[in-house]
Amino acid sequence: MRSFPLLSSCVAALSSFASAELNHSQPLLSKQVLSGTFTPPQVFKNANLVRTTNLDKSYPRETINVIIENVDSKPQSEYYLPFESSLISNVGGFEAKDKKAPELGNFKVEVVEFDTESTTGFYLIHLPSPLAPKAQRTISITYSLLKSLSPVPAQISQADKQYLQYTFSAYTPSAYVTANQKTKLKFPNVDVPDYTTLPSELNAEKKTDPQRQGSTFTYGPYADIPAGASQPVTVRYESTKPVTHATLLERDIEISHWGGNLATEERYWLTNLGASLKTHFSRVEWQKSQYMNPPTTALKQINIPLAPGVLSPYFVDDIGNVSTSRFRPGARESTLELKPRYPIFGAWNYNFKIGWDAPLSTYLRKISGDSYILKVPFLEGPRMPEGVQYSRVNLRVILPEGATNVKFSTTVPLIDQSTTLHRTFMDTIGRTSLTLSAINLIDDFRDRDLIVTYDYPWTAGFRKPMVITLGMFALLAVVYVVGSVDTSIGKKKNA
Amino acid sequence: MAATEGDQFLKQATGPKTRGLLRVIILVLIAGAAVSSRLFSVIRFESIIHEFDPWFNFRATKYLVANGFYDFWDWFDDRTWHPLGRVTGGTLYPGLMVTSGVIYHFLRFLTLPVDIRNICVLLAPAFSGLTAFATYLLTNEMVSSPSAGLLAAAFMGITPGYISRSVAGSYDNEAIAIFLLVFTFFLWIKAVKLGSMFWGALTALFYGYMVSAWGGYVFITNLLPLHAFVLICMGRYSPRLYVSYTSWYALGTLASMQIPFVGFLPIRSSEHMSALGVFGLIQLVAFVEFVRAQLPSKQFQTLLRALVVLIFVVAVGGLVLLTVGGVIAPWTGRFYSLWDTGYAKIHIPIIASVSEHQPTAWPAFFFDLNLMIFLFPAGVYMCFRTLTDEQVFIVIYSVLASYFAGVMVRLMLTLTPIVCVAAAMAFSQILDTYLDAKTPKVDAKTAENGSSEPAKVAAAAVLSDGLRSTRNPLVGIYSYASRVTVVGFSAIYLLIFVLHCTWVTSNAYSSPSVVLASRLPDGSQHIIDDYREAYYWLRQNTPENAKIMSWWDYGYQIGGMADRPTLVDNNTWNNTHIATVGKAMSSKEEVSYPIMRQHEVDYVLVVFGGLLGYSGDDINKFLWMVRIAEGIWPEEVKERSFFTPRGEYRVDEGATDTMKNSLMYKMSYYNYNSLFPAGQAQDRVRNVRLPSEGPQLNVIDEAFTSENWIIRIYKVKDLDNFGRDHHSAVSFDKGHKKKRAAKRKGPKVLRVE
Amino acid sequence: MAPKNRNPAATQSSTQTVPSTPAAAPKPSSSSTKKPGSGGAYDAQDIVLGIWNKYVEKTPQRVKLLDTFMGFLVVVAVLQFLYCIIVGNFPFNAFLSGFSATVGQFVLTASLRIQTNPENKSEFENISHERAFADFVLGSFLLHFFCVNFIN
Repeated sequence: MRSFPLLSSCVAALSSFASAELNHSQPLLSKQVLSGTFTPPQVFKNANLVRTTNLDKSYPRETINVIIENVDSKPQSEYYLPFESSLISNVGGFEAKDKKAPELGNFKVEVVEFDTESTTGFYLIHLPSPLAPKAQRTISITYSLLKSLSPVPAQISQADKQYLQYTFSAYTPSAYVTANQKTKLKFPNVDVPDYTTLPSELNAEKKTDPQRQGSTFTYGPYADIPAGASQPVTVRYESTKPVTHATLLERDIEISHWGGNLATEERYWLTNLGASLKTHFSRVEWQKSQYMNPPTTALKQINIPLAPGVLSPYFVDDIGNVSTSRFRPGARESTLELKPRYPIFGAWNYNFKIGWDAPLSTYLRKISGDSYILKVPFLEGPRMPEGVQYSRVNLRVILPEGATNVKFSTTVPLIDQSTTLHRTFMDTIGRTSLTLSAINLIDDFRDRDLIVTYDYPWTAGFRKPMVITLGMFALLAVVYVVGSVDTSIGKKKNA
Repeated sequence: MAATEGDQFLKQATGPKTRGLLRVIILVLIAGAAVSSRLFSVIRFESIIHEFDPWFNFRATKYLVANGFYDFWDWFDDRTWHPLGRVTGGTLYPGLMVTSGVIYHFLRFLTLPVDIRNICVLLAPAFSGLTAFATYLLTNEMVSSPSAGLLAAAFMGITPGYISRSVAGSYDNEAIAIFLLVFTFFLWIKAVKLGSMFWGALTALFYGYMVSAWGGYVFITNLLPLHAFVLICMGRYSPRLYVSYTSWYALGTLASMQIPFVGFLPIRSSEHMSALGVFGLIQLVAFVEFVRAQLPSKQFQTLLRALVVLIFVVAVGGLVLLTVGGVIAPWTGRFYSLWDTGYAKIHIPIIASVSEHQPTAWPAFFFDLNLMIFLFPAGVYMCFRTLTDEQVFIVIYSVLASYFAGVMVRLMLTLTPIVCVAAAMAFSQILDTYLDAKTPKVDAKTAENGSSEPAKVAAAAVLSDGLRSTRNPLVGIYSYASRVTVVGFSAIYLLIFVLHCTWVTSNAYSSPSVVLASRLPDGSQHIIDDYREAYYWLRQNTPENAKIMSWWDYGYQIGGMADRPTLVDNNTWNNTHIATVGKAMSSKEEVSYPIMRQHEVDYVLVVFGGLLGYSGDDINKFLWMVRIAEGIWPEEVKERSFFTPRGEYRVDEGATDTMKNSLMYKMSYYNYNSLFPAGQAQDRVRNVRLPSEGPQLNVIDEAFTSENWIIRIYKVKDLDNFGRDHHSAVSFDKGHKKKRAAKRKGPKVLRVE
Repeated sequence: MAPKNRNPAATQSSTQTVPSTPAAAPKPSSSSTKKPGSGGAYDAQDIVLGIWNKYVEKTPQRVKLLDTFMGFLVVVAVLQFLYCIIVGNFPFNAFLSGFSATVGQFVLTASLRIQTNPENKSEFENISHERAFADFVLGSFLLHFFCVNFIN
């Protein structure tokens, strides 16, 4: 650890040198930074940039508030934000909005195609209105980085504290020149044993970085940082909490007009990404420690808040019901308290399935005639102080058989969507099902809604009774025919 | 029983159609009662597969559903019996899995997305409904009173002897086999009565199905020939018997040979020889009869009879010779243990170690059959009175099954149907007699008042002439009082029977044994789910191919729930392999370690009930491991050395050194005493105080222990990095630790001693 | 099938096999039938002749046809058995299914014969001749299905 700051400062110096040199010729057009063919045009300048990294939860959440200025001669509306390509696949919940006019909503954001060899990828932010030359605008960008915290040491004893390590660049990555910037780090507590110190020369105010203030560290301010510059910094802090990570969450929402029911089923593939056990799990130690209930890296309990009015919840895994769950219905909120079969320590997995019913009337409204509007949360799932990260969420909304003209809207960034037919329970044509996929979500997305509108003619509701009736009739007819045939043979025989 | 009460007021209006409809309704209600009383386990616990064997059946069914029939037929399972593997497709009775597979695909065809697990769980109750129906049919063939059939169906539906093997979740071969057994018997009786090839062929078909479903088919294989043989001996040979028996045997034997697991057994093993012998005999008899019909000479008849006897003797002699010569396989061990209950204990400990192969304790008869055990002899006696062909069958069946049920707990199951039939016959006789509406003066009103079985009233009106009792002793039934008394008491007995069945079912037979239930002080139910906790831990947190060593009892469960390869399982086809595991468990660490390395064992799983007082744990089963291991390595494992000089089996301070050094002992008690204040460690199963110093483990590490310590999993260490043996490596590490620990804990330890 | 006609018509050469009919299943019977016969040679010859004459006289044509078929089956079965003993039973499946096919067919035919024999009318009141034949066909179908399946 001792050599770490030295090494990192060396790297930093080198990289800053390299980028400075690059900057002379042509901004951001160097092989080291971008081997792809694409470069964002240098039309903006970051007048002032403040980045806040929040490490409270088990993943870093970053907020970048930046005043951008158009330095081009024409109005511009496309702002790029670079990420290392290893990082970009872990960026989740990327959103940008106008800091001064949040009512405008989120800007349109997309990941720019980058070729596979490139080490840099970009998020492209489309400003709702082009920014005039010389004009300024304050935008606020938030995102979180999944799987970017690593436990150091990677193996600890059962009762040890866990330390997480986070590596980032002290200079906020940017595709443009940044006139003034600083980075604030918020740690969950003051136990930060290792961190990179940066020499005071780099700092605009000639202070040695970082500046500590309780559990908050500040790097910067730094003046006039060229595009693409980076200054690696590593911090290691105590966080004896599970790093809950869902590799996959499958969510099925099924609507039944007949039953007036909205059935939800969620299937989780959970892993604890925290430090694994150095020796094996010791039940004695665990049982003894349970009296004191100290902080632990093991995930002992999962609390899932549900909407009020939820009925008949269940909690099962691959081999059956897990009896250690409790359901607390409430007027404002019901809670499903799940206790996994065993405490989930670092590197342990746990797959399970939960589900519940809810009255449909709270979610579905008839707009006009045959069309309906459905409003459901895009993501429910655990609410825990340490947070949960989801690598991939597949949401499937199964509409009644015969629903047409399906439209949806949500503020959650999606990567895939499709409408298919799902056949179940004596369907003839199959139910219309809307499948939506999102990657890299975090539990902050819990309160985002999904709004689906669809047409469902009342005649479609009678399809199934009709089919069943016809089926029964057909069966009876067949039985009758077969029966009569049989007797005729019998008669022949008897004759 | 409740079902039959439905038609109280309809008893007089009994056209044949109404009666038929009533009978259908009653049967449906009985089936409903049979199914619902088996759902206690689902209500009490959950929809889960029970016990041990069902887990294998469940796993096999999943394989069948996932990979199709042909793959299933050729299934070689390399995840069991590591490293040998098992030719599963050829060594199982596929009837059960194929049945649920067919149901599954049928439901899928109807686009009903039913989970295969639920099909498996509910298969046994569903078939119990069918069994009740089959019992009805069988009983109807026996007596002319349809009330006996309904009673028998009701008895069959709720008798604990059958419920014990067919509660929801008990997905075992018996689930469908009992239905097939009863139905095959019904078809056989039908065939014998009518002398029809059609019914004979149907018998053969269902016999084939039975063979594919359960090893107990041998019971049919021997009972039907015996029936035929007895009939011949009684001089009741008829062409009908010839037709039914030969068509059954010829087709049934071929059908049974379709099952790979059975294969050539029907012509090779002794168990099947009686059927073949009777087949030959009946040909002979038929020929003789044929000739006799041509020549009615008295002298010649005697000659022929002598000839028949001679041939029979020669054939039996030939059979014995062939058996001695080894062409025909001798009886298997399980069959020897049927004749000599002590046989298995001496020669095949592995069979004796299974609790369901033990002789039945007498209360079990009452527990499982209750009231019927008294009525049963009466029913059999009634059969003696008329003694038609089919009643001879009842007599033979009851004698044989009673004997077998006494020898082996498990065979109580084959006894149950005949007890139900006989008891129902006796009981319906009582009711028919005492509720006969035809008796002068005291008629319908009385019957209505006293009766809870009016179906029988209707029935009694129908038959009335066939039974002597209804004709002659009318005298006895003139009395109003005797009528009420007898009927009233019968009703009470029936009520008690129903209560008993319900109580037994809900309390004794509904536990899945994978999940344990206990009561908290406040009376609420507390679920102890240690098995699944540990199995799920294995499933989630160990490599896909980690080999688990455990005693064979848990093999199927590990395969089913933890989805990991095992060394031995409940199939027990390879005694040596099981003995190897037994040896590893009962030897010292230094001996066990090479065994475990050789078999690439990654984890060892033991069951320990000491903390909770769970008596079915491995220490209690330990002696069987020792015995089985001793059977193969008498030099290295000795049962004697696990007993103290005074002949006690102890685990406390006084345990023998062999015991204390055995891997099983160490794994069970490792670290256990640190849960208690020093010196207070208590084993709650054996109620002893354990030595103050717990055992040391050198070659394995504790990997996981479940919440109540029932399951303990150990990881087998790799070879030491520095090439030391594990013992010195551990003591080296300990040495370091002790120095540090001594500073803090030193004084404490001193105070303890 | 045509209506019954009791026709004591001429017999075929194959009727020779009839006495050995039941020998199909228990082999020893064929050898031992002669033993008691040899006890009283003259009597035995008389008896056999008597049986023969009676058979020829009383048996309907159709039953004789069945008897011929049964005789043929016995011959086939014996041949198969001899082959198995002499050459060896290498594809045991094949031998077994062949052999059991003949035995099974034999007993089914015998059953048919019994059921259609007017002498047994009283025993089989419920079974008409057509019914018996239908049963016979069903049984044979099953038998040959199993055999083909078993032969691999």
